[in-house]
Amino acid sequence: MAAGDAGARVALVTVGALRFVYDPALAGFELASEHPFKPLRYELTYDLLRASGVLGDDEVVAPRALDEAALLAVHDERYVRAVKAASAAAKVTAAAPPAAEVHGQLSPGLLASHGLGSSDNPIFAGMHEMILGVCAATVTAIDLVASGQALRATNFAGGLHHALRAKASGFCVYNDIAVGIRRAVDRYGLRVAYVDLDAHHGDGVQWLFYDDPNVMTISLHESGRYLFPGTGHTYETGQGAGRGSAVNLPLEPFTEDDSYLASFDRVVPRALESFKPDLIVLQAGADTHRHDPLADLALSLAGMSTSYQRVVELADLHSEGRLVVTGGGGYDPYRTVPRAWALAWSALSGRALPLELPSQWRTRWQDRLGVELPTTFAEDVSRFPPIPRREAITRRNRSVAERLMNTIEPLWATLPADRGRAREAGLT
Amino acid sequence: MLVADVMTHKVVAIGPDTPLRDVQVLMEQRNIRHFPILMARASDQVDDELVGIVSDRDVRLVGADHPRAPAGLKASDPVSRLMVSPVIVAHPEDPVEEAAKVLRERKIGAMPVMDDGKLVGIVTGIDMLDALVRMSGVYEAAARLEVEVANRPGALAELLALIARRNVNVSSVMTTRGDPDTMSFVLRVATADSHGLAAHLRDHAVSVLWPPATPEPASRS
Repeated sequence: MAAGDAGARVALVTVGALRFVYDPALAGFELASEHPFKPLRYELTYDLLRASGVLGDDEVVAPRALDEAALLAVHDERYVRAVKAASAAAKVTAAAPPAAEVHGQLSPGLLASHGLGSSDNPIFAGMHEMILGVCAATVTAIDLVASGQALRATNFAGGLHHALRAKASGFCVYNDIAVGIRRAVDRYGLRVAYVDLDAHHGDGVQWLFYDDPNVMTISLHESGRYLFPGTGHTYETGQGAGRGSAVNLPLEPFTEDDSYLASFDRVVPRALESFKPDLIVLQAGADTHRHDPLADLALSLAGMSTSYQRVVELADLHSEGRLVVTGGGGYDPYRTVPRAWALAWSALSGRALPLELPSQWRTRWQDRLGVELPTTFAEDVSRFPPIPRREAITRRNRSVAERLMNTIEPLWATLPADRGRAREAGLT
Repeated sequence: MLVADVMTHKVVAIGPDTPLRDVQVLMEQRNIRHFPILMARASDQVDDELVGIVSDRDVRLVGADHPRAPAGLKASDPVSRLMVSPVIVAHPEDPVEEAAKVLRERKIGAMPVMDDGKLVGIVTGIDMLDALVRMSGVYEAAARLEVEVANRPGALAELLALIARRNVNVSSVMTTRGDPDTMSFVLRVATADSHGLAAHLRDHAVSVLWPPATPEPASRS
């Protein structure tokens, strides 16, 4: 691409470069009462950014509706039918769990084979429409960036990275990320690098693009030896034409900021440099934090913030800045997640957050939730109890990163290196 | 899981007169390591008789300048001069763990599977490993849970009932034996909230070795 073209594009996208895709309805449901996944975090994040004065009116966009046929690009048609039928049947029976006979042909065994009706993925009324709405919001973010209307866009309601082709898994019914990436590849001809910083392995996205040389999936996560979904070993590297396009860096439980960031720095920059993506999609699951009750990593907000800044810098270096950010896990939902995602937005926008959380935000949500909320964005990390095996954890993480690079770097040399089709055609 | 579930159904068998050099070629071409050897019978009404088996290790050394090469055998000799017989065989309805035990105890790599005098398949050590991997449930998205319960009837049932109460599916259960008073189980459970499940089990006095207990959210700052 000629230097002049690049200059013209930068000029175009700096106008309204940032978009926060927001639909309050996507914060207004629960999978089940007492379910650890709290969609309300999305509204707390939005409200925190607004109250902090770092999110402008013109930066908030509503998602465009998505035809359910878009789901079929990554999901099995019978699975989508089963989700729809279960979702509709749950409406009929209102609050009560739907009885088998209401599902008609949907036997409990069939539902279970699709991962539906467990404590992780309970069937709830309107499930299909709601999660289709989450996919719509992620696709909107992808469209905005892929079409050049924005440089960076977020959907913190999204990030459902565990959903599989024909199975709900790990709180995820439809894989909004995969739907979005599929569209970026198919419609816009982009090469997409997916960076998954959730504490859990990004298995659904990985398996859906496992043999695709146009999509590189990079996941940093707590080792599957200890944590759901159990996968994400270094030797999962992709298959067929996509060999080398899956990158997995499993980390020890209780990994802290320094070792986390050293592991990130050893692997992610080289992977992106080698892959040369047109677009980076970041899954910013906030369950890597020390206070997360479902996982065992031990990051601080400062460490998480640094990792987001790194991804923004890498997007500037390797994908001309194009970056889409989704949410993901995060089960300390009111105290940790809104701050983490506000820090992600701060990294994207380059706008500094105030030292203190806005008092009107604290008061409003403390009253509504009945929990005490923190007063500052920064944490007093001196109050974190020391991790006893820090040195051993650091050593182990370092050796895993080395082993990974030894296996996978040679494979990157053989991955098709040509840039995306749209680029060649001069469409972007 | 039975031998019939894991065996290779399409067996490549050879006749006893096949020259060893042809066996070598066939092994390379078909990427096969064990050949059952069948002898045709006079009558078409009766199945061929299994008379021996050869492995790639035996065949490869024929004619080689190697201390363990079979003495006095040439590549033109018939396989009947090298084959092992009688053959240790499995039945399609043998449980895989039985077949695995025989393979290990007899230190062999494969067994022809015979049903009523007819060769119906072959089962190898790799098939056993595949079966074990499948049984362990590692292909399902799940979390690993390690618990220790008393070594008495009903202890596992009580554990599983507690897990069922959380509406969590169990992908697999493996036993590791501890001291005489306890049994340890490694379970793969289809939930992303294995900490929540562990807390629930601990509330019911189950000794959970993994995942570790996490502090209550209220105690955090």
